[in-house]
Amino acid sequence: MRNVKWFLALALAFGLALGSLAVAQERMGAWVDTIVATEEPDIDRGVLQLDIGVFDVYMDGVSRPDLKRLIDANEGIDYVQAAGLYYELSFNPVGPEFPGGGLNPFAVPRIREAMNWLVDRNYVVQEVQGGLGVARWTAFNSAASDYARYIEVIRAIELEYAYDLAKAEAVISEEMEKLGATKVGGVWNYGGAPVVIKLLIRSDSQERVEIGNYVAVQLEAIGFQTEQNLRTAAEASPIWINGNPADGLFHIYTGGWITTVIPRDLGGNFAFFYTDTGLASPLWQAYVNDPEFYEVAQALDNNEFTTLAQRDEMISRALRLSLEDSVRLWLVDRLSLYPKRAEISVAGDLFAGLPGTPFWALTIRRGDDIGGRIDIAQPSMLTNPWNPINGSNWIFDQSLIRATQDYGVIADPYTGLNRPHRIERADVVVRDDLPVGSTYDWVTLTTAPEIAVPADAWADWDAAEQRWITVGEKYPEGVTALRKSTVYYPADMYGSVAWHDGSPISAADFVLGMILTFDRGNEGSFIYDAAAAPSLRSFLSSFRGVKITSVDPLVIETYSDLYQLDAEQSITAWFPTYAFGPGPWHKLAIGILGESEEAFAFSSAKSDVLEVEQISYIAGPTIATLDRYLAQATASGFVPYAEAMAPYLADGEVAARYANLAAWKARQGHYWVGSGVFYLERAFPTESVVQLNRNPNYPDPADRWASFGVARVAEVEVDGPARVTIGDTATFEVSVSFADEAYPSVDIDQVKYLVFDGTGSLATSGDATLVAEGLYEFDLDASVTGALAVGSNRLEVAVSSKVVALPAFDSLEFVTVR
Amino acid sequence: MADASATVTGTGGVAPRRRRGGSGSLARVARFTVVRLLALFLTVVVGVYLTILIANMGGYVDELRRSTIRENVSLVVGMDPELRRLPPAERIEHMESLIAIQEERLGLNRPFLLRSFAYLGGALTLDLGRSEFLTSDSGSREVRLIILERLGPTLLLFATGQLLLFFLALLGGLVLSRRYGGWMDRLVIALAPTSAAPSWFYGIFLILIFSAVLGVMPFGGMVSSPPPPDPIDYALSLLKHLVLPVTAIVISAVFLSIYSYRTFFLIFASEDYVEMAKAKGLSSQAIERRYVLRPTLPNIVTQFAFLIITLWSGAIITETVFNWPGLGRTLYGAITVTDVPIIVATTVIYAYLLAVTVFLLDFVYAIVDPRVKLDVGGAM
Repeated sequence: MRNVKWFLALALAFGLALGSLAVAQERMGAWVDTIVATEEPDIDRGVLQLDIGVFDVYMDGVSRPDLKRLIDANEGIDYVQAAGLYYELSFNPVGPEFPGGGLNPFAVPRIREAMNWLVDRNYVVQEVQGGLGVARWTAFNSAASDYARYIEVIRAIELEYAYDLAKAEAVISEEMEKLGATKVGGVWNYGGAPVVIKLLIRSDSQERVEIGNYVAVQLEAIGFQTEQNLRTAAEASPIWINGNPADGLFHIYTGGWITTVIPRDLGGNFAFFYTDTGLASPLWQAYVNDPEFYEVAQALDNNEFTTLAQRDEMISRALRLSLEDSVRLWLVDRLSLYPKRAEISVAGDLFAGLPGTPFWALTIRRGDDIGGRIDIAQPSMLTNPWNPINGSNWIFDQSLIRATQDYGVIADPYTGLNRPHRIERADVVVRDDLPVGSTYDWVTLTTAPEIAVPADAWADWDAAEQRWITVGEKYPEGVTALRKSTVYYPADMYGSVAWHDGSPISAADFVLGMILTFDRGNEGSFIYDAAAAPSLRSFLSSFRGVKITSVDPLVIETYSDLYQLDAEQSITAWFPTYAFGPGPWHKLAIGILGESEEAFAFSSAKSDVLEVEQISYIAGPTIATLDRYLAQATASGFVPYAEAMAPYLADGEVAARYANLAAWKARQGHYWVGSGVFYLERAFPTESVVQLNRNPNYPDPADRWASFGVARVAEVEVDGPARVTIGDTATFEVSVSFADEAYPSVDIDQVKYLVFDGTGSLATSGDATLVAEGLYEFDLDASVTGALAVGSNRLEVAVSSKVVALPAFDSLEFVTVR
Repeated sequence: MADASATVTGTGGVAPRRRRGGSGSLARVARFTVVRLLALFLTVVVGVYLTILIANMGGYVDELRRSTIRENVSLVVGMDPELRRLPPAERIEHMESLIAIQEERLGLNRPFLLRSFAYLGGALTLDLGRSEFLTSDSGSREVRLIILERLGPTLLLFATGQLLLFFLALLGGLVLSRRYGGWMDRLVIALAPTSAAPSWFYGIFLILIFSAVLGVMPFGGMVSSPPPPDPIDYALSLLKHLVLPVTAIVISAVFLSIYSYRTFFLIFASEDYVEMAKAKGLSSQAIERRYVLRPTLPNIVTQFAFLIITLWSGAIITETVFNWPGLGRTLYGAITVTDVPIIVATTVIYAYLLAVTVFLLDFVYAIVDPRVKLDVGGAM
């Protein structure tokens, strides 16, 4: 009897397990049924409410050490980490004497270079940022693939320019004396007066205030007097970026920059941050560089290399020269923590955090639960109207909008490389002298000596006649492009992907997107918007043509002169998701119809000119106007750009689309129709609440992006002899793991070792060899150890992964003896 | 004092009434009305124009905006890979066209002086226009809608809180004036200094106790998330969310207010004519009604009227602490980004409300207090 009970219990457990598995396998779209987003402007209260379970996720980044301690001490809360914000010191390079009088020591490159030794970046990280930062010496973000790629050069620079107050003082003193300054009573004097360094400090950031204070203290320690000028962003702008640096209103500005996508190619940073081609601002125009640095910076900016080896050499040179130039002194990459309940799993972007990636919505889940509700808090929401063409670009509106839309490709949250979302695969052809490579197998990369654009491809749009201008018409002599991408959409896309109102996606959705890319910025358009003209101009500067080679299944070729080093980033993946939201053609049509009658406008700029409302598809006074235009469009069967759209519309599509939209509006009370994993159930503007519900018709399984649950940053441990006899071979082992399991070797890009001798110079470097999964090995042979002097040496290991842009490090001290 | 004003004739008690003909009184009232309205209008004009000048820092804000636009456009263009490929001259032309669009949008292509008069003209005619940066909750740029959407929540919170406070204080003051020196009186006097702290200060403690520790009250907001679809549930949720902020408003001022009214009533209760009434043997209720409350009515009405109009602007910090979507937060947001139309609109409406209140109060005084006469150029 007892055995029978056991058997029944086992059978029941097995059945339940199978049942759960089946449910999990069947789950399509989002893991959760409902997301409720509530405004909570105060981050302290946000964290407090996470603690007691009112909220599950706080979508803004925490960068305060006290809150970090609070989160660390609380088992119920953890976080997703991002590092898109970074701080630096911008020097005024005019001089050495300002035209109006006064010495500017920072006109001298050696003094700027010496500032690298004067400032202790680790102090800034530990004392100012409470550990929430990574010290930074170069123009490369520490969480970027280029940082990992050039780790050898960068680590050498980091050691060479490590904090050394005495060295800084010696170099600066030498140069100050050359300028004719003298030290009187420990204070630098010039022309009979103390040299006063004016620090322009941003007052709206406590960290930047503290950084400014610290730099002032360091400068005073070596004999300068300082004047700290605290200004808000708006007040500082006319001084540092738009003012004439020759006026001498500042010597140092506490700068800050933000990058919201993981950069794949940072080669242009030298030209942008150090040379006069970076910005048209007077400060940038005052930059005068060493000719070699200027040349290499410009060459990198213009991708003037044909192999990656050439690029490697150029970047290595530029990195070193940039430190010698140092018109900008990099300080730290700031880490931001996005707090959440520990039981919530969600993917965040390495740079943009949670709100900056659509993956938050695609992956969010409570433990192993299926269904249920998750409450997120955001600092502010619904700050501007939502419309796909030119609506709200506020990050916390966009975080919700991203949940309601699909993409052709999505940037991998940990590497920045594009991943296919609604496209199936792509072919990329680049001119054979361009150093483009590919990583993933969904892209097929080939090269060609010349890429001719077919004469029947669309090269431009005639807005007055509402027809395409072919390549043959625009370029009678023919035209070539630097790259061509051919994107293949899934054969079942028209059947599997549907808009939230039930309308199946169609080729017409894609074609309207193409037309609007050209039309609104074109003066002949019936919905011309001057604000769209500049973007069109820049788009046309590299665009060469587009051709729909097959409608079903959809295949689109795009020709352009714009390319990137990764083939994955060199793809034009047309999809009816616009810059500010999803855009099925019928949803846009009623907006286009209304704008053509100047009842409202898509862009804020045009709505101001016309003195009408900006279209909001979710709430507000334009909803009633949209009602009117929906009725009008339904009655007349309105199709924007009818002639160009007609070949791509199915029979009955127009009437069915408008009927679906009307039914959606009647049910939901708004016009926000997308195709994303969630749909907008309702926005409550005054209450500042948004409810998103799971899209039951989403075609992807819920676990499609399960591998993005956490950033798989490698854990590295190097082991080996602490004592090495000079002239002997020494073997070292590197274990690479993640979550206590061996890191798959297929995901490892490189395991590099660097040996620095007792003077801090790079003695040797190389790549470790894989000996087993998660285990690498390398030898320092007799010739290497023979070249080391007796004493202490430092071994550093840097591991870069193919799945996370953030490299991992470990180091070991060993002694060489005879 | 050569100003138009309601004058109190006589001193130290009920003045003998001067008899005048009906047409003379009408002319006097008409003259008073015209002069008073003109004076108030001029005050409003000066006040609003000063607000425009201050909000724009005398035109310096234009410079800041131009600079911010240039900075933002430079950065956007500089960091755009497509635009960075353009030849420098073309890139600068592109930037300038973007800058021109934004400057035109904000009217920076016109001199500030001209714009300041346009702001003034629009404000005085209550053509509130369009905001420069902020939108209403539902996405409108019409200042009228931006204000109207937030007016309801502000009135709901502050009208509830302030009216409760006002009547509690009035009643409490009256009760205490009768129990002068009693334990309740001494308790209220002892607690009066608690009003030194503002309502948001108490708000923080209330949230800490009832929301964070006990978990029985919401941390803030106007209703629960998502808002209940059923109107009754919505109202109940609204009431629940009102409890803490209203309590904070009341606690922060109730003891001092009671103490003030109590002292005020006590002063009037010790007037000679009250003593005379007592000596005549009138009941205490009759004395209170006729000889204490009535002469204090102009002051109470004034306080009540000003209380009503101060509801208009909400309270920035209290609304922020309770995450209440009121006008105070809108005004704060507008000040932060220097959204002049919203700042001007809030000011001009307040100015008009104040002017109308002051104007009407003159008449109310004359009605409720027989000692007060309407006249121009009187002396006090």
